[in-house]
Amino acid sequence: MMRVARRVGLAVVAAALLAGCGSESSTQQSLAGLIGGTLKQGVDARRAGRPAKVVVTPKMLAETKVAALQVNPEIAGGSDFLQRVATRDDSVPGRVEIWKSSDNALVFLRNGVVVGTRGVGGDIISADAALTVRALANRASASGVREYILSDGDVTTTRMQFRCTVTVAERGSVTVVNQRFNATRMQEACIGGPTGDLRIDNEYWVEDSTGLVRKSRQWVGLKSGYFELILLKS
Amino acid sequence: MPGREQKMIRRAVHRTTRILAIGTTVASPSFLAAQDADAVFRTPDRPSLNFYGAAGLIDMPSGEAMPDGQFTVGVSSFGGQTRTTLTFQAMPRISASFRYSGIDGLDIDGRDTYRDRSFDVRFLVNREGRYLPSVTVGLQDFAGTGIYAGEFVAATKNFSGGRLPGNLKATVGVGWGRFGSSGSIGTPFGEDRPSFDSSTRGGELSTDQWFRGQMAPFAGLEWQLNDKWGLKAEYSSDAYDAEQADGVFDRDSRFNFGAEYQVSDSIRVGGYYLYGSEIGVNLAMQLNPKRPASALRIAAPRPYDVRPARRVDPQAYNGDWAASQSGASTAVRDALVPLLEAEGLVLVETKTTASTTEVRYTNERYGATTVSVGRVARAMARVLPASVETFRIVPVVDNLAQSAIVLRRSDLEALETHPNASDALLAVAGIDSAAPNLPGGAHNEDLFPAFNWSLGPFIEQSYFDPDEPVRVDGGIRLNLSYQPAPGWTVAGEVRHRLFGNVGDTDRESDSVLPRVRTNAPLYARGSDTMLRRLYVNRQWKPAPDYYARMTAGYLEKMYGGASAEVLWKPATSRLAFGVEANYVKQRDFDQRFGFQDYTVATGHASAYYEFDNGFIGQLDVGRYLAGDTGATVTLEREFDNGWKVGGFFTLTDVSSDDFGEGSFDKGITLTIPVEWFVGRSDRRKFGTTIRPVLRDGGARLSVPNRLYDQVRSGHRNSLVGNWSGVWE
Repeated sequence: MMRVARRVGLAVVAAALLAGCGSESSTQQSLAGLIGGTLKQGVDARRAGRPAKVVVTPKMLAETKVAALQVNPEIAGGSDFLQRVATRDDSVPGRVEIWKSSDNALVFLRNGVVVGTRGVGGDIISADAALTVRALANRASASGVREYILSDGDVTTTRMQFRCTVTVAERGSVTVVNQRFNATRMQEACIGGPTGDLRIDNEYWVEDSTGLVRKSRQWVGLKSGYFELILLKS
Repeated sequence: MPGREQKMIRRAVHRTTRILAIGTTVASPSFLAAQDADAVFRTPDRPSLNFYGAAGLIDMPSGEAMPDGQFTVGVSSFGGQTRTTLTFQAMPRISASFRYSGIDGLDIDGRDTYRDRSFDVRFLVNREGRYLPSVTVGLQDFAGTGIYAGEFVAATKNFSGGRLPGNLKATVGVGWGRFGSSGSIGTPFGEDRPSFDSSTRGGELSTDQWFRGQMAPFAGLEWQLNDKWGLKAEYSSDAYDAEQADGVFDRDSRFNFGAEYQVSDSIRVGGYYLYGSEIGVNLAMQLNPKRPASALRIAAPRPYDVRPARRVDPQAYNGDWAASQSGASTAVRDALVPLLEAEGLVLVETKTTASTTEVRYTNERYGATTVSVGRVARAMARVLPASVETFRIVPVVDNLAQSAIVLRRSDLEALETHPNASDALLAVAGIDSAAPNLPGGAHNEDLFPAFNWSLGPFIEQSYFDPDEPVRVDGGIRLNLSYQPAPGWTVAGEVRHRLFGNVGDTDRESDSVLPRVRTNAPLYARGSDTMLRRLYVNRQWKPAPDYYARMTAGYLEKMYGGASAEVLWKPATSRLAFGVEANYVKQRDFDQRFGFQDYTVATGHASAYYEFDNGFIGQLDVGRYLAGDTGATVTLEREFDNGWKVGGFFTLTDVSSDDFGEGSFDKGITLTIPVEWFVGRSDRRKFGTTIRPVLRDGGARLSVPNRLYDQVRSGHRNSLVGNWSGVWE
């Protein structure tokens, strides 16, 4: 996932975004181009090293008519732009949004907190993020246990528990492209995992007026490391 | 737009027009895995291997056990002695090894190189604690002709921290037999240990010699300097008496020294100075079946929309669309065929009412059945009208409906994002035996007749010939199959040998039994172009818990004839029973259409049981190819990802004298799913059976399409092992 947009012309990215909510045939047309690009980029990337992040311009943002999430994977590099394809209200607090990448991988966000991935590799099958969701909603510190169920890469899973502390780091503002939001920066520090010493450090910018996580840096499993998530348009 | 696709079926039913294929392109995600994220799973205390390919120092064993499931291959050589060893940590405390060794210059059977096979077992008595060391009791070469026979008790303790960098490991132990031959301190359990006798046939447990005779201490240190480098030193209690007598090498010292380098996570190499005279090398590969060589990445499923709440849109729940069952079933079939096809699945048939839809399908892509179940469930959730609440998902393998996985659609919708998604769904899923057929269902009419072919290379090995331990034949093979109707298959394989030396042996069979297997070299040199198989197979389900098969034709390399099998295996049962009866005639050595005179009626009654922790036991009682009667015991450990390691032995009314070398038939089996290596969805498996000796007693017919393995992958125990696949 997500290496796709790295060197594809920005126009193509915008076209994929503008393809709209679920007109599947048109999504596929742009996908075909993107996939062809992906292979080539794979080769280029190996030659050129890690791909660079895409910087979104105000013009691109203005042209975007649908909900869009920029994802910058730290290990793999590059950027991708995800579309929201579904929302779920289940029995657990918080609303889940399902975001789809240009190469059909999925990221599940519960009120902005990553609770699942699909098709990324070493996926988060499910996660209990109640502690974080509550802390972000209240913009208040909290501590407790978080749990991830991670794919081992052979259709089995490992359950990982972490002791986590969420703290309020800064009350200020965050800028997304040319938009500025009054927001609270929250930090989450976790320790645990199979050997007891795996550390996770997540960071969230929560908009004060709406409670939306505008920007975050979150752990998405052992294979993928951290993703930077930027909510371009909600 | 919720329900957009769901409405299509309603429209299709009303208009009785075909739904346009809903395009589904599954792109392979391009996100590259991190280089070293597996580090978390590394086992820091994984022991290194000794020259016998088991946890240890240099030539001496240690008190450690491998991590559970560890599978190792060790190749070592010094002083003209080469040992190749497979070791499997079958349970957290029990490991087993199989070794093939060659000793240049040991004059036992008149050959330049003495070759032998040996088995070891080890039991971990105590796990290392804060103060107590790990302690292991081991039996080496406990059942063969016994060149390496030796027993030991060893204790190992780790020390780290302080001023010493890295980790220091100290081992002390006492040994008997080979390990008690130098520096003996007495005979605590009796002096009456029989000496090594190469003229025995081996195969029998040498209980009369275990822990008898001279006992001697041994000790050693292993200093792991950092992640890569380690140093070893030991005091050996092996006198190498037989080797000294024949001048294999000069043993001038009891001390051995070595340095080891960890090349990669799985490979370690070492160089050594042994017994004051010899340079030695050791190459060790360690794998753990639980950790795939490359992580499987499955394309993400396509998301579906949950249904609107009934109170919001009661009309959506109206079941009128299914007033005509056949019309509705046909529409559902037409909607699902392309969706399943995009996922590598083939819809076989489907039947629907307003509230329940059953889908029968064949999985052609995913190694784990659960992944296919999840994909089918999602496809159903995408297109079925809201009134359908019950999904019955039935995986079918060549006309055998394995089981019915029953999911409530509301559960599927509610649990996908649940913190405990897999366990929560399993708790409310039903797994049951499936009816043989689906009367009134809409069949996929494009399936039959089906014709398939494949062309590829083949490799055939023969092991343990004293003149040439590994012989290989290779060439090309052409497989053809034709399926005129469900459950009927006509299949064949033609091979053409391009190179090889399997048939080059000049060892003639010395068997006093009918030569049902020992003629293998004659078959190997019979002809270059051969008809390996050509048969008609029919399989079906007579009842929900019963499976049946009839096969006739050229069944395997050496036999042709007829075979029939019935298996009882409820989908949720750990227990299964089967009966197989065959009447076969021995084929000509050229493997074309002709037969020789030997005919035999052979068959077995079998019981299968799935124990905990993936262990599968099998007992077969019956008549074997040489007309001997007896039983085969098989025990395998199957990991959730499909890795399987096991062993078997057969005892029949053939005496060990008549059987010949090895006394009875036995061997080890290994199955590795291709997925585990390549990291892509793939249903193929690599499998091999290694027999120390292939003789005529206790030999079984190799019939294609035995039922148990065809059926079990869709049954409860297998499904539960990778249930998380439903969400992957």
